[in-house]
Amino acid sequence: MHETPHRNTETKITAAAPAGMFGPFLRAPEASRDIFRVIFVAACGPAVAGVVFFGWRALVICALSVLGCVATESLYYRVTRTPALLGRSHAALTGLLLALTLPPFVPWYVPLAAAVFAILVGKALFGGVGHFLWQPALVGRLAATVLFAPPLLARPLLDRPAWPVLAQNRILLGDVTRVDRSARYRGWRGTVARSPADAVARPRPRAFLRQLSLPGAKPPDSIATVLRHMPPAWDLICGAHGGGIGETSTIVIIVAGLYLACRNYVHAYLPGMIILAAAVTVAVAPVRSADGQAWQWLPVAAEGLDVGFVYVAYHLTCGELMLAAFFLATEMTSRPVTLPAQVVFGAICGAGAILLRLYLAFPIPAYAAVLMANTLTPLLDSAVRPRVLGRRRWQRTTDTKHQA
Amino acid sequence: MSAMRLRRFGTFAGGIVLPDSKDATLGAPIVPIGPLTRLRVPLAPTEAEPARPLVEPGQAVSHGQRIAQASDARQVDVFAPLAGRVAGIGECLLPGPEGTWRSSPAIELVELDSVGRIEELSCHYTWQSADEYSIRLRIAEGGVCTCRPPVSALGGWIERALAASVETLIADITENTPFVTADHRLLAERGSEVIRGLAILARAVGARNVMLAVDHRRTGAYRAAVGPARLYGIEPIALPHKYPIGAEAMIVKVLTRREIPPGGTAMDVGVAVTDAATCWLTYRWVACGEPPTARVVTLSGPALHRPGNYLVPFGAEIEELLALAGLDAQAWGVCGPAMSGQLATAGAVTGPGGNAVLGLHPQQAGPPTQCIRCGWCSENCPARLNVAALNDDFELNRPTQAARRGVLACVGCGICSYLCPARLPLSRRVALLKRAIRQGQSRSRDARDAAQKH
Ligand code: SF4
Ligand code: SF4
Repeated sequence: MHETPHRNTETKITAAAPAGMFGPFLRAPEASRDIFRVIFVAACGPAVAGVVFFGWRALVICALSVLGCVATESLYYRVTRTPALLGRSHAALTGLLLALTLPPFVPWYVPLAAAVFAILVGKALFGGVGHFLWQPALVGRLAATVLFAPPLLARPLLDRPAWPVLAQNRILLGDVTRVDRSARYRGWRGTVARSPADAVARPRPRAFLRQLSLPGAKPPDSIATVLRHMPPAWDLICGAHGGGIGETSTIVIIVAGLYLACRNYVHAYLPGMIILAAAVTVAVAPVRSADGQAWQWLPVAAEGLDVGFVYVAYHLTCGELMLAAFFLATEMTSRPVTLPAQVVFGAICGAGAILLRLYLAFPIPAYAAVLMANTLTPLLDSAVRPRVLGRRRWQRTTDTKHQA
Repeated sequence: MSAMRLRRFGTFAGGIVLPDSKDATLGAPIVPIGPLTRLRVPLAPTEAEPARPLVEPGQAVSHGQRIAQASDARQVDVFAPLAGRVAGIGECLLPGPEGTWRSSPAIELVELDSVGRIEELSCHYTWQSADEYSIRLRIAEGGVCTCRPPVSALGGWIERALAASVETLIADITENTPFVTADHRLLAERGSEVIRGLAILARAVGARNVMLAVDHRRTGAYRAAVGPARLYGIEPIALPHKYPIGAEAMIVKVLTRREIPPGGTAMDVGVAVTDAATCWLTYRWVACGEPPTARVVTLSGPALHRPGNYLVPFGAEIEELLALAGLDAQAWGVCGPAMSGQLATAGAVTGPGGNAVLGLHPQQAGPPTQCIRCGWCSENCPARLNVAALNDDFELNRPTQAARRGVLACVGCGICSYLCPARLPLSRRVALLKRAIRQGQSRSRDARDAAQKH
């Protein structure tokens, strides 16, 4: 009655298993579906922030992505006749997370195509929840990056890719594709879009920071000069800068993530470790100094700690790192199960995200780092384990003392 | 200020706080169970060879009469729990290891007297001045069993403790599973007897440190009883109420900082663990000469109408107890604590090891789905096992891999099943893995022994 394993269960362990009902006869009330539903609700926080700053197009993309995932999953189950074990809640969650990573101005077919990839390649091919290796939403996002040319994923403005955000007088209802190209930018709050435009476009803040380290770019005079070009910190914290729908609003992401941590759906160590590792990497990893040749290690201390800390804080808040730390890396199936392994996993994600951002012109560095770390998950789970009660720390062998 | 000064101790990694759910019986005094129609007194309270009956069918027996004689040192003598008439020799079921039922021959008694209150007996054996050897002899004569599962003869238990040169004796009265209050009531009402029983056991096993571990939330109820504990060199200790602190491995770790090797017992690290019921029965037998025939059983749970702490003679049928306590139709009768007990079946009776019979409403949970890797099972496992990986080992039939992960360290607490959002029966699967490993080991040991003979 209790035994309906979905995989082949060999008979040896269960042979002559004692019949009867076993304890515990009490159960904690939370079921798998509830978990996915609660995470979905939490992920609605960044989505709402995205709708506020990017307008109705963000809402349409979220809806398309969620519907695309749910429909693909239903169709897959219909065709393969696999019973849908966890309902559609996980597919809907995947769809929403995927939408959060997409820019708000992509055409309608981008979220749909990404959703199909996310569910089919990311999830169903591996056997569904509990078995996939890579976070499916990120598989979808990676597919979108590969399939669609840059104009769809970043608008060219003058000679550089630029990212629009609704101006202060157009939030919620404006159309993010009608960009005012001439507006002088004095921080989001100081900028008003002129009719008929609704949005102002700017390079993503991390593009400035990349000038410090990417080969080929003209190196700026100093870190302080770069920081002078950055939007005000308040814009980065509340989300009024260009980026994916759910990536920009740091404060909303943190609040929603802490809610998940309180419900125990996310272990606070994992996002904490990602952010810590990212901060340490930013503080240490070398940038090019003014003469353009020598590499300057320890940029946090290069021009005084006040500049250094602002530099680190900008790095942490200016891109997709926060969303990856709180919502994408914490996906249950693709992260390690035990806590020590999760800490190592978080360190790899955080450091990888910053290194990819600094030294490779890769469009989605934090997501790529999470995918890389996902690949290592099975290894981490078997290599980094908690110490079993009564064993020495690195004891691996079968226990020799068995009988009383 | 208070007579009971308590040392407080730390805690352990993993574990959860369970709902207490003891309100119904926490303050209920121990009362005798209502009239019973039939007893099936097990002839094999421990797993060894059954005792040899000394009575014939049709014979009348009196309360406390020796009705069966142990033929094996690991078995105990059996005494008539109530006056009555022998109807014949039958069968009964007792809880066995890992949720099995163990069948035992049983003497059926009918036309029973009603169960009496606990008598106030005077002490007529000066155990304080007796030497250890004669205390051990006296214990071995009586039919006392250890009441903590696995049930074994107390004489044999003491011998094993002596062989392991046990230094520390712990009486675990934390009882932090939901509903169960049998040991709590025993210590609150008959505390001086329990304390003296513990002192007797400490003399018998030669333990230098004797600890009485109680739940920190209930120390108030034990004050009067436990005050004299220090006279006997017993140290009362209040422990936190995180479940499963009462598990042998946990309480040994918290109180002595020693860890039991996976698959071992507390005696492997020089510690013996006992409970209130064992101490009480020991005192009554050694000091007062009353043979062990009954124990306190908590009848409780949301599906029982008359919950309480009852004095129940050994061999009472679980079904009859549930009927006396008013079990709802459609509800489940559970033998043992709610986290690790098993569903009552026809023919099951109470024995020395059963501290609770619960009536619970059936779970509404659906069938198990696949593991979503939430990690709650491993995060809260007090043995620090990666239970999700063990579940994979079970599904892929890899007991050797599971043994390498240390599955034998599992304390059987049931937390993994309790928490699993996919409703997987994890603790049962872990128990089956342990069983498969033990069987494999005993098979290979047999093969090795056979090879050495040739
Ligand atoms: S594996 Fe054993 S010790 Fe760990 S939670 Fe499950 S039942 Fe408890
Ligand atoms: S609690 Fe259940 S669903 Fe969660 S990791 Fe453990 S086995 Fe998997």
